Order: sequence, then structure tokens, then C-alpha cells
Amino acid sequence: MPVTDIDVVRLAAGYGLLLIPLGIFLWHRVPLIGTTLVSIVRMTVQLLFIGFYLQILFDLNNIWLNIMWLAVMIAVADASILRGCDLNFRIFAIPVFVALLLGILLPVFIFLSVILYPAPALDARFLVPIFGMVLGNSLRAVIVGLQHFYDALRRREKEYFFFLSAGAGRQEALMPFLKETLQVSMAPTLANMATMGLVALPGMMTGVMIGGISPAAAIKYQIAIMIAILSGTSLAATLAVYFSLRKSLTPWGSLNRSVFTRLNQ
Amino acid sequence: MDSSPILEIRDLDGMAGNICLFRKLHLTLDPGEKCTLSGASGSGKSTLLKMIMGFLPVPADTIFITGEELTAKSCWRLRKCVACVSQEPEIGKGKVCDILAAPFQYRSNRSLSFELKEAQQLFECFLLPADTLQKDMEVLSGGEKQRVALTAALLLKRKLLLLDEVAAALDARSKEAVRAYLASLKNTAILSVSHDVGDFLLSSRLEWMEDLQKGGGNARD
Repeated sequence: MPVTDIDVVRLAAGYGLLLIPLGIFLWHRVPLIGTTLVSIVRMTVQLLFIGFYLQILFDLNNIWLNIMWLAVMIAVADASILRGCDLNFRIFAIPVFVALLLGILLPVFIFLSVILYPAPALDARFLVPIFGMVLGNSLRAVIVGLQHFYDALRRREKEYFFFLSAGAGRQEALMPFLKETLQVSMAPTLANMATMGLVALPGMMTGVMIGGISPAAAIKYQIAIMIAILSGTSLAATLAVYFSLRKSLTPWGSLNRSVFTRLNQ
Repeated sequence: MDSSPILEIRDLDGMAGNICLFRKLHLTLDPGEKCTLSGASGSGKSTLLKMIMGFLPVPADTIFITGEELTAKSCWRLRKCVACVSQEPEIGKGKVCDILAAPFQYRSNRSLSFELKEAQQLFECFLLPADTLQKDMEVLSGGEKQRVALTAALLLKRKLLLLDEVAAALDARSKEAVRAYLASLKNTAILSVSHDVGDFLLSSRLEWMEDLQKGGGNARD
């Protein structure tokens, strides 16, 4: 395939473009120089590491190694989600991990085994990148979902208590909050889908086109990945809330206050 | 039903975090009885109501509703005997009549049905304009919300009604209307938290938080 590898020297020259953001910040005295440099270095080191690591993963193509790598990705996602929404790690770590595992794996598995058929679904070079794309795109929805749900339950405790006192079961009393949570957390993904191709050329499509595939074939990949992302996002966000309920609500139905890391009740 | 008290509280301690609000509290309420509960601010009145609803964990053998002990398990069933109107109530988002109808969709309320007529009658009693039913909850004033919440609670026809400062946000006329209506309810026991002398007059009993606790407080008449 006529894929052009980027010459290292030329990529290094590409770093010269960074003079633009740095110059702008310097000119306006925006205190972002340090953050920008750290971000650039982190991006470079992490990608170097991943490039190196994925190469090994692809070469060995061992199913157990692949699964372990997925677990590492989920664990990192789990930690970054919980850091993103001020929720108690001890209560949420396991439920969110399981929610991500099931919520992402199901659509990815369908994607690989049905849509990409007859490609070998468990091959590292399919499994790992597709899983990563769906996982990465679902993170924001899971963060927004958990944050919104528990914030709403805390701020509108009176409303929740009214539902309970009116005879609602746990699920019935939580329903209005769950409904709202899904609306809020799914909105960005849906908006992104609705402008797909018009506002920005999506990453997957760009990737396979550079890889030498025709646009007509590339959009099929893009459509498939968007479907996987939407289903993975909705499933992971919903499961994260449901799985966390067991520990975040007391047996009486009220919200466990230790759910939040910062107790600003 | 037998004549067992609708609500019985024995030796109940009320805590807010690590602070003790009340200790060894006793209170018995018979079916249909109207009791006003008063006491200093911070004496744990609202906490007590929350405990009766099971919204705060309740120690074993302290609260009994219709003779049955309130536990994490039984609270889901016993809440069906009780309705509650909190201070500055929030009862949901959307159109008033939809909010009033929502509880009748719950599985536990399947034996009940939502009668719009009843809601209209209650609104009339409480001097709420009839078109309030079609309004959005958000546009209502505090006093209107309070009366809508009271209507929502009354529509469920519970045997025990817990009210937290229910007349506080109301003007004098609607206050009178609400009190008169509540006093006329023969089969509903009411435990009403209030600082307002006007509320005391219409109930058959007046209790002070301080007096309900064993060995604490001075007797008042």
C-alpha cells in the first residue's frame, strides 16, 4: 500500500509549528507557556511509548496480552473519569470499571465480528485501536453522566424524597434523574454525529484514507465506528450509573454522603 | 384496622453528623389525631420527620408505623401509609397536573387513581386559581408551590400526614383555608412542625421537642 511514512527529521521540523501557539501566548502574556510545554512533552512521550508498545502487541498478537492491555486502558479511563467528577474512588472504581468493560466491549465485539467480517476480530491490530476509539469517545459522556446524576440527586434531594414519600420504588424515584442524565450526557455525541463530515473530517475516515483506501470505502468504516461509539457511549454511561447505585444509595433509598470526595453539602 | 397507634416513637436519638439533636424521644399518635410539634430551631424537628419517612437511618426498635417497626426493608412499604410535605417543597419539574398525576403511575399506588376533579376541589379549598393546574411548576410562587405540594400529598389519601412548616410561606387568607381544611380531615393523623401559634389552635395536641425527651426539658402547658 502506498502509505508514506513520515521522515523523523521532517517531523522534528514540524515541531517548529508550535512557535505559533507559543508566540501567541508570549505576546499576550498568557500564563500557558509551561502548561503547553508539559503537554507537548507528555503527548510526545506517551505516543512514542504507545507506538513502541503497540508494535510489540501487534507483532506478538497474543490474545491474553491484548486482553491485559484492554484492562489497562479501562483502568486508566476509570481513574480519569473519577478524577474528572469528584466522586469517591472507593465507591465508584469497580462499578465504573465493569460498566466500561461491558459497555465498550459489546459494541466493539459486534463491530469486529459482524461488520468487519471476515477480518480476524481478536487480532491486536483491529481489537486494540477500535476498542480505544470507542472507549476514548465515551469518556466524556460517562463523566458528564455520573457528575450530573449525583449532583442532581444531591441538589434536588427534596424532589427525590417527594417521589419516595409518594410511594415510588427506588427505580421509579430515580427515573426522572436518569432520564435527564442520559439527555445531558448523550447530547455531545449526538451533536457530533449530526455534523459528521460537514464540520470536520472524522479521524477514522482520515486515517484509512491516508492508508490508501478510497473515500467511498472510508465512509463505511466511519459509519460503523460512529454506530459503535454511540451504542458504547450510551451503554457505558447508563451502566456506570446503575452499577454505582448499589453502594451510593443506602438501603433506605437515600444518597450515601460519602459518594462525594469534597463534602460541600 | 385495630386501634394501634398510627405512629409510635420510642427512645429515639436524633443525630446530625456527630451532633446530637435530641435524645430518647417519645411520641405516640393515634389514628386521626392532629398534633403540632414545636421547639427551638435546631432541636431536630425536621430531622425527626425525615427519620419517620426513613430518609435518615433509623435505629432498631424506635419507630413504629401502624404497629410495624420501621427498618430499611419495611420503609418501602410503610411509606405508603405516610405522606410528607417538606419545607419549601420541590416536587418535580413540568406541568402541575402532570406532577400531581405522576405518583399514580407508581406500582405501589396502582389501587389509587388520579382524579382531576379532586385536585381541582383541593385547589379551590386552598384558594389556588384553577388554571394553576396547567402552569409550569417553575413559574409558581413559594406559597403556591407549598399548596400544590400539599395537594399532591392529600391526593394520595395516606393515614398519616407529616407537615413541615406547611403554612409558613402562605398569606393570611390561604393560611386560614389550609388550616381549616386540615382540621376537618377526620381519618388522617397529622404531625405538623410549626412555630406559628395559628397552627397550634387547630390541632388537638401541642408538643414541644424538649418535652418529648425523657428527663429533658421542662413541662409546659
